[in-house]
Parts: sequence; C-alpha cells; structure tokens
Amino acid sequence: MFRRKPLHLQLIGAAALLTALSFFMFPVIWMFLTSFKTQDQIFSVPPVLIPPAEQWNLDNYIAILTQNNGLQGVRDTALVASVTAFISVSIGALAAYSLARFRFGGDEFSFWIISTRMFPPVASAVPLFLLFRQLGILDTHWVLIIANSVFNVPFAVWLLKGFIEDLPVELEEAALIEGATFFGAFRRITLPLIAPGLVTAFLFTFVFTWNEFMFALLMTRRAVRPMTVVISSLAGGHTILWAQIAAAGMITILPGVLVVVFLHRYLVRGLTMGALKS
Amino acid sequence: MFSSGVKQRQAAFFFALPALVLLLSVSIYPLLRTLGLAFSSLELTISPVETFVGLNNFAKAFGDMRFWNALRNTLILVTVGVAIQFVLGTVLAVLLSEIRFTRMIWLIALLLPVMIAPVVSGFQFRVIYNDTFGPLNYLIRALSGGAVAAPPWLADTRTALLTIMITDVWQWTPFMMLLMLAGLESIPVELTEAAQVDGAGYWDIFWRIKMPMLLPVIVIGLLIRVMDTFKTFDLVFLLTGGGPGSSTETIAYYTYLNGFRFFSMGYTAAIAFIQLIIIIVIARFFMIAQKRVRGGSA
Repeated sequence: MFRRKPLHLQLIGAAALLTALSFFMFPVIWMFLTSFKTQDQIFSVPPVLIPPAEQWNLDNYIAILTQNNGLQGVRDTALVASVTAFISVSIGALAAYSLARFRFGGDEFSFWIISTRMFPPVASAVPLFLLFRQLGILDTHWVLIIANSVFNVPFAVWLLKGFIEDLPVELEEAALIEGATFFGAFRRITLPLIAPGLVTAFLFTFVFTWNEFMFALLMTRRAVRPMTVVISSLAGGHTILWAQIAAAGMITILPGVLVVVFLHRYLVRGLTMGALKS
Repeated sequence: MFSSGVKQRQAAFFFALPALVLLLSVSIYPLLRTLGLAFSSLELTISPVETFVGLNNFAKAFGDMRFWNALRNTLILVTVGVAIQFVLGTVLAVLLSEIRFTRMIWLIALLLPVMIAPVVSGFQFRVIYNDTFGPLNYLIRALSGGAVAAPPWLADTRTALLTIMITDVWQWTPFMMLLMLAGLESIPVELTEAAQVDGAGYWDIFWRIKMPMLLPVIVIGLLIRVMDTFKTFDLVFLLTGGGPGSSTETIAYYTYLNGFRFFSMGYTAAIAFIQLIIIIVIARFFMIAQKRVRGGSA
C-alpha cells in the first residue's frame, strides 16, 4: 500500500539534508583543517581551505600541549571529569535505587532532585564561591569535582532510575527471600543488569564535566587549569593563536565525538535524563 | 517497587543518604545563602562587611536598564532561537525518518555538535563570523560577486545577538532532530497505514496523527532546551563578551559580570534569585503541559 513520493519531493528532501549536513559539519571540518594551518594562512583572503601537504603534521598540537598549558589542561580536565563521573555514578546509582524501588520521598523528592539540575549554575556561583573560599579549596581539583557533582548527580539519578525501573523487581525479591540484604540484592543483581546504564551515565557525566566552563573559569586560578579555561585564555592574548586553539579544540571535542559515535543508542536517553527512551 | 515497612524505609534512607548529603550541602546551602545575600549589601571591592538593606537590591534591579536588556536578550534566545531549533529539528527528523539503510551515518554526522563544548564551538564560530578573514563573509562576497556588503557580524549591535542564536541553533538543532526522530519511530506503522487506506494524504497524516502523538516528546524537548538556553553563558563569553556595548548580554552573563567583575555580591544574589523564580515558573508550566499531553494521548 505504500505510495512512493514524487521524484521532485525526493530531490528537495535530499538537497535539504545535504545542506543541513554541510551546515552542521562545516565548523568541525573547518576546525580540523585550521589545526594544520600556519598563522599567515588563517588571515589570508581568500581563505586557505586545505593546507598544503607538507603541513599535515602535529606541530600545532605539540605547540598547544607543550608551550601553552595544553598538557596541564588535558590532565586536569581528565582528572576532574573522571572523578566527578565516578562519584556521580556511585552516588547516583544508590539514590536511583532508593527512588525506583522504595519511592523514597515520593514525587516531590524526585522533582527536587531534578530541579537542582535545572537551576542556572550562575545563580549558585556566588554563594558557592564564597563557601569554597572560606573552606580554602579554591583552585584545587576538589572544588571542581564538588561543583560539577552537584549538577551531575541529579542527572545520574534520573538516568539510572529509568534503567532500574526497566528491570523486573521479582529478581531482587527472589534474592531477598533467599536471605540477601537489600544492599546485597542491589550489588549482586541490580548493578550487573544495569551495566549499560552505568556506562552511559559515566560517559555522559564525564563529557558534561569535560565540557564545563563556568565553574572552571570562576573557581580556578593557576594550580588547576582545565582545558576549557586554557582555550578561553588563549583568546585574551595580544595575538590570537587560532591554529593552536583549533588543535586544542580538536583534542577537547574527542570524548564527546566518541560518545556520539559509539553511544548513539543511548543518546536520546542520556540527553533527556531518561525522560525519553528510543 | 518493594512493599513498604520499617526495614524498607531504613534501607531507602541509607541508599539515598550520600546524594542527600551532597545535594543538601552544595545545593540547599547556596539557595539559602543567595536568599540572605539578596537582602544585603556586600561590595567586595569596598569592604568584606555584609549589611542588611531590605528590598534595595530588588528595587535596583527593577530600575536597571541593563538588567532588563539582559532579560530581553535571554528571552529572544529562549523563544526565537529554540523555536528555530524545533522547526529545523522536526524537518530534519521527518527527512531522516524516510531514510532506511544509511540513516545511522547521517545521524552520527548530524549529531556531532551536540556533545561539543560551547567553548570550542564559540571559538570556531568567532573565526567563521570574522569580518575580514572569516569564511562566512568570503562566501557571501563570492556568491554575490561583491554586491552584498558582508556585515561585521560580531561587531554590529544589529547582528551580534543573531550570531549567538545561530551558533546555538547549530549546536542544538540536532538534539531536537534526535528527539523528534525517536518520537516518529515510536508511532506504530499500522496507524499511519490505516489512515492511508482511509484516504488520508501525507500532510493529513503528519498534522492530524503524527504531530498529536509527538506532543509528549515536544514538551520534554522544549523544556530541556528552554531551561538550558536560559543559562546561556559560555557562548556569550567566547563569542562577544556581551558586546558590542551590552547588546549580547544574557541574564547569566550579566549575573556573572555583577558577581565576578563588579563584585556586588548582594545585587548578584538578587538577580540570581529573580532567575530562580522565572525558572521555577517555566518548569511548572511545562510540568502542567506534560501532564495534559500525557493524559490526552495515553
């Protein structure tokens, strides 16, 4: 019964998709090409689209990593992001279990948890800044781990709550009848079964923290310099090193791109905090 | 869900305890502190002493043209920007839903912007918009043979906010596309086929069957985008720094300026508090909308 669409409509559709593809891919491709250019080529009019063959080397990448704090940026960001993700998933899985299996605190509590994610971070930046200054932990990895956890724990809770609710509760009940504790049932039955959820939650919170900029900017000075701060600091200089920034950008987008490529099955779930499943 | 009892309630509490401790200390505390500060004057450039000033900060916000300007800019991004993302995302989702074999490749390519740090995209678009060496103006000049004067996108008060909106559209249209595509896929084929048998045309099916069934997806997608756009900070910081003048200051950026450039902590807390109220109102509105569409379609 399926009627094929007329040819001209198919052509318009294909043209629209190709236009969209070039619009959405262009900045990424342009950044990739820029990361191999020299400073002169960046300012040239007409623009140099593809750098000459002999320039396809890692000079700009090495320069940003060794001369302009890039190495420290990657190291600090990776450390903060992985610890934040680990904390968020651990705390989040426990709380998600409490919400999914015991309805702890009812709907109001669930709503409160998600609302902490919706609040603008800038609104809590001042009190958090004053608090962290009093505690003397500004410009440490911990300050960023704590600040980012506030926004990523609610995310992990809601995402994992959905994964746990998908499991039949009978499995855990059977274990309880055989004498397991609640924690035992959670650890030995629930956790292994929601492994895809744990991986999804870990990678998403990792990328969110990896990409985070505002807290990184406000809470660090010298001892800690996340990658996003390194990039933004390169904008303030006398001459803007566009090629090195592009190289830094290529390094920075890597985890996010990998998540899109390898985790696209869980992208809908992750980006809507479990509200929608595909 | 387990049955309830004393042991269950204890277990529930201990499972939730770590999250409770973290969120109470680092989320409730700032909220209360913000509320306290909002009624005080704390000018860190002058003295570290906090004095109670009543509603002064709110009165100041009410008469502060720059605050209203930031609010207006934010609302433009939240309404016009998100609307564009929604419409483009829907069109792309419909187009993709008709592709079968190569869809995954298209999807991955189109989704790249979603997980890119706004700091990085902000920087890239700064190059793209650059009026002398940027590829956008080169394209405009080349296509029009120099007839169209390519504008200095970032330096002109008439186009600067548009550049932020376009960058946001670039970053988040794929998100809307992904959600709408997932929604379209979840509509049973029998439903649309039955309508076809009854003689419904393509557009009838789209507007009368598909769109109503997509309402719950639309509400959640818009809620997430509205909330996140309301927080727009990174793009403004990287692309325009709020300028030229204050033409691209968003409410989040203006809050940052007051707190971390002017160090007026009391005033910052007051405008932060106003934002929280706006956010709560928007969230409640969407929650009610969600209950309605769920009730209507289930």
